[in-house]
Amino acid sequence: MDTQSLVLVYAYLGAGFSIGLGAIGPAYGIGLAASKACQAVTRQPHASGSIMKTMLVGQAVSESPAIFALLIAIFLTFKIYNLPDEVSIIHMAMLLAAGLCAGLGSLGPGVGSGVANASACEGVGRDPELEAPLLRTMLIGQAVSQSTSVYALVISMCLLFVI
Amino acid sequence: MSKKLILGAVAFIIIIQLIIALQIKPDMSAIGTPPHKVKEIFGRSIPFNGVNVTTVTVSWGIMFFLIVVSIIINTRLRQVPGRTQMIFEIVIEFFDKLCRDTMGDKGHIFMPYVATLFLFILCSNWIGILPFSFIEEPTRDLNTTLGLGIIAFFVAHIAAICYKGIFRYIADYFEPMFEIKGVKIPNVLFFPINAIGELGKLVSHSFRLYGNILGGAIIIQVISNLTRYMILPIGLNLFFGLFVGAVQAFVFAMLALTYIAVLVEG
Repeated sequence: MDTQSLVLVYAYLGAGFSIGLGAIGPAYGIGLAASKACQAVTRQPHASGSIMKTMLVGQAVSESPAIFALLIAIFLTFKIYNLPDEVSIIHMAMLLAAGLCAGLGSLGPGVGSGVANASACEGVGRDPELEAPLLRTMLIGQAVSQSTSVYALVISMCLLFVI
Repeated sequence: MSKKLILGAVAFIIIIQLIIALQIKPDMSAIGTPPHKVKEIFGRSIPFNGVNVTTVTVSWGIMFFLIVVSIIINTRLRQVPGRTQMIFEIVIEFFDKLCRDTMGDKGHIFMPYVATLFLFILCSNWIGILPFSFIEEPTRDLNTTLGLGIIAFFVAHIAAICYKGIFRYIADYFEPMFEIKGVKIPNVLFFPINAIGELGKLVSHSFRLYGNILGGAIIIQVISNLTRYMILPIGLNLFFGLFVGAVQAFVFAMLALTYIAVLVEG
């Protein structure tokens, strides 16, 4: 096998690792939020609309680590179209590392922002009138807790494009 | 009657889409390539490795649009507001309340900055759903988001220096301080950690917007190609274009305000 196709092997491995590992954390977090929302609806059935809204907005934000992992996976999948002319063993390591970085980097932030979303749903279930400040606090907290996955994204994009 | 009309319209759209879809061949080669840049103008080279023309023109267009709309609204202010004036009053009041809730009465000064940030990013994110290939979200380019992040960084730090004075501002980098018999001694060990933390805020602030918008745009592009522009891209545009765009614009503006509040009051 020539070097060009060996590099592609590593790119595809990286793509698989990236979205495969990166989906675990956000999936767990989103599920946790949904389960807490179910409990909150049991407690306050008449507030189910605002609980649902909090849950959906929070889940859309907790998905963004998975979106970062998917972005890197797509870049790696279509690496075949813009491979450099001369490739070496360093390129293989870089592509695999980019995938692993994005995948493992979104494990923690996914779970973390899901936990924040779950607590917000629980809070709306206790006092539906506090929906607006809870939603705001949850959004800011989730955004800050996702900083770490943003750092992972920065490093994988550096590995993919800069070097 | 109306049900039949709607069903007929849907069937018509699907047939048109099928006819178009058969003509298109999936083209994935553009994904993951760096954006096209102009490196020379009138025989002179442009500093910083060229300019992305789409980003610059589209963001200038959005700025022009916002300025013209606000001038028109301002010249036609009435005691009893009409529909358009109502929308803008709701936006302004929302951000005024937000700033006052976050920072107290000081927050009033930062309201124009935060509201402008929100409106500009919202328009930039939403312009991507227009079906023209020459229009791209300016926030899809790292240069735009990094520029906005650097502006927010400087606003927060200069506001902190104005409100607290330069000495207390510098002293904050040495927190938490040792305390021996009531005398506070600055802790040199924490200076690098605090300084890197401030830079980390800048990086995560700008890359969050960039990553979300670029990710959404590329997912839409790939899935549109795979389904040959049939039906599914509409839902994706609604989610990634309108919903995620609005949430990320709000998060960006809100985080800028929070960083200002933390530095001014910390």
